[in-house]
Amino acid sequence: MCKCMSVCCLFVFSEDQILLSDCASSLAVQAYLRMCNLPVHVSCRSNAEYMSPSGKVPFVHVGNQVVSELGPIVQFTKAKGHSLSDGLDDVQRAEMKAYMELVNNMLLTAELYIQWCDDTTATEISRPRYSSPYSWPLNQILAYQKQWEVRRKMNAIGWAGKSLEQVYEDVSQCCQALSQRLGTQPYFFNKQPTELDALVFGHLFTILTTRLTSDELGEKIKSYSNLLAFCRRIEQSYFEDSQAGSSSRGYSKGPSLF
Amino acid sequence: MGTVHARSMDPLPMHGRDMGVHPDDMIEVQEAEQETKQEVLENKDVVVQHVNIEGLGRTKEDLLGYEISEVFHAKNLIDVMKKSHIARQKLLRLGIFKEVEVVIDTSDGADALPNGLDVTFEVTEMKRLTGSYNTMVGNNEGSMVLGVKLPNVFGRAEKLTFQFSYGTKETSYGLSFFKPQPGNFERNLALNLYKVTGQFPWSSLKETDRGVSTELNFPLWRTNHTLKWEGVWRELGCLARSASFAVREESGHTLKSALSHTMSIDNRNSAIFPKKGALLRINQELAGYTGGDASFLKEDFELQVNRRLVWDSVLSASLWGGCLLPIGGRPSSIADRFYLGGPTSVRGFGMYSIGPQSEGDYLGGEAYWAGGLHLYTPLPFRPGRAGFGDLFRTHFFLNAGNLYIWYILQINIKLSLAECIRWSYGAGIVLRLANIARLELNYCIPMGVQSGDRICDGVQFGAGIRFL
Repeated sequence: MCKCMSVCCLFVFSEDQILLSDCASSLAVQAYLRMCNLPVHVSCRSNAEYMSPSGKVPFVHVGNQVVSELGPIVQFTKAKGHSLSDGLDDVQRAEMKAYMELVNNMLLTAELYIQWCDDTTATEISRPRYSSPYSWPLNQILAYQKQWEVRRKMNAIGWAGKSLEQVYEDVSQCCQALSQRLGTQPYFFNKQPTELDALVFGHLFTILTTRLTSDELGEKIKSYSNLLAFCRRIEQSYFEDSQAGSSSRGYSKGPSLF
Repeated sequence: MGTVHARSMDPLPMHGRDMGVHPDDMIEVQEAEQETKQEVLENKDVVVQHVNIEGLGRTKEDLLGYEISEVFHAKNLIDVMKKSHIARQKLLRLGIFKEVEVVIDTSDGADALPNGLDVTFEVTEMKRLTGSYNTMVGNNEGSMVLGVKLPNVFGRAEKLTFQFSYGTKETSYGLSFFKPQPGNFERNLALNLYKVTGQFPWSSLKETDRGVSTELNFPLWRTNHTLKWEGVWRELGCLARSASFAVREESGHTLKSALSHTMSIDNRNSAIFPKKGALLRINQELAGYTGGDASFLKEDFELQVNRRLVWDSVLSASLWGGCLLPIGGRPSSIADRFYLGGPTSVRGFGMYSIGPQSEGDYLGGEAYWAGGLHLYTPLPFRPGRAGFGDLFRTHFFLNAGNLYIWYILQINIKLSLAECIRWSYGAGIVLRLANIARLELNYCIPMGVQSGDRICDGVQFGAGIRFL
């Protein structure tokens, strides 16, 4: 028996402020909660990142608990009796974890790289959006601070030396692995979605529907037709109650992060 | 008072202070004559012909002209001595001299008048650079504090100070430049650059402020005014994982750019144990019209009246109040609100633990008032009179106050009923520290406690500079 949970309140950045990587993470959590049939209310705050106990968006506020990021949220809902991966055996569970790690290490890192390490994108899109709620000179200080932080992290994991082309290539390889695993199935494991499906959907859908300085990233994903069908399927199944053409309140489809 | 040498009109030639002739040898012969001459001198009109300052290095002379000009107007010897003493105090308060000695001598030279006097101020300038180094150990934290001071940087009593504190938990620093107007020391300009961090366990909040401020002080008739502009980058965060959601919502960065004006009149005879006089301080702050995110108008005032009663006891009444009006529809920030309660405010309650709170974290209020009535008496039986015992007083007090809000919070707030006044009474012992701070040990009985307030009934200890 599932225990009833009070309404979750999901906190993200506001629409003008949110960037690709945060949008992807937030959409993944939203998809997961909808898949679990848990009512979720999205709240936009410009200081969501600082409110979060781990410093990352999105985070969920339920009762008097605050949990951030997909991994801990999955564990939290599991403790309350809602889980999507109960039907998996140990081998499948290990596989699921491996693929989730792949998405986090490849797709998420690529998104961060494109946002902050590519000068054009950083100057035209990332810094203006990130600093939009603040006034001068705080907006400049915070935007540059975030950029330095991400670049330091890229240095630490060895991505600093990569060029944009190499990053696109890495994304393509990751999509190929996902496409192969998905094959012709509706979801990654059996016929029921799991948290892996939510995570992959979050990232792929956001990349497809966000306009960056170049369309190459979206094109790479579109070349795998089963991933495209997968995204549409999840959108239709779980986000149909929202406006047509838009995944949920607060995220734009088609035009842009501009 | 310092050393003032006054020499009589002696026919022997004098070159400097070391005459090579000892007055003691001549006392028998000259004493009667000197006394007569001195008596005559006191009543005689004198003219101050020259006022010199010796020992100047980097100090510019035009600065000092104003401080010593009064001495020229002295009419007789007693007047000269008084005015020289005042001039000496003025020179010392510039903060650029280690020592000032006054030498009054008869004038000599071609244009010397028979009743002419020369006054010489012999000054020792402070060193160009002084430093200090301290280590401090506090609650689970150790820090190293380095201080550097440059008095009299450009020769006109400008002062540059820098303090840097490097600790296991936080670092903070402050750089300050002070420039008085030559001739009018009370009119001065101060520029500050600082980073300070604070932890507020009563709200589970930690705050880091990085800011710059400029301040102009000037006296006007009997009042002192301060005009200040301050730009602060404030970073708020939760002190613990268990902080309430209302405090978590306030985390993040804000920029405050505010203009403020303070007027104060203080004619008390002392800041710590005043026996008579009153203090009135009114402060207003307007934030938001010079940039920044925070936008509000804040007013607060402080009034204290003292009156001496029989047997050396003093009755003191004080009243504080304030009001914060957010402008532009945004709610006020927790860092700008008023807090009430504690050993320095309404005694008998926990530190800043009165008013609206959420899960044990106090959120402050947007308007408040607090009043206190105190009776200070010397210690019973007056031990250590005119010495150690004078640092202590016993006091009986009655404190009251209330905190109001008009912002609406959404999640998990328990609004305490603002209609009921919190008050407390009790008695205790107060100790004065230097002339700046005081320590109190009181037995308090809090009353009018609302649910949510944290009380500290029984013995309460307090240390601070500003008490209700």
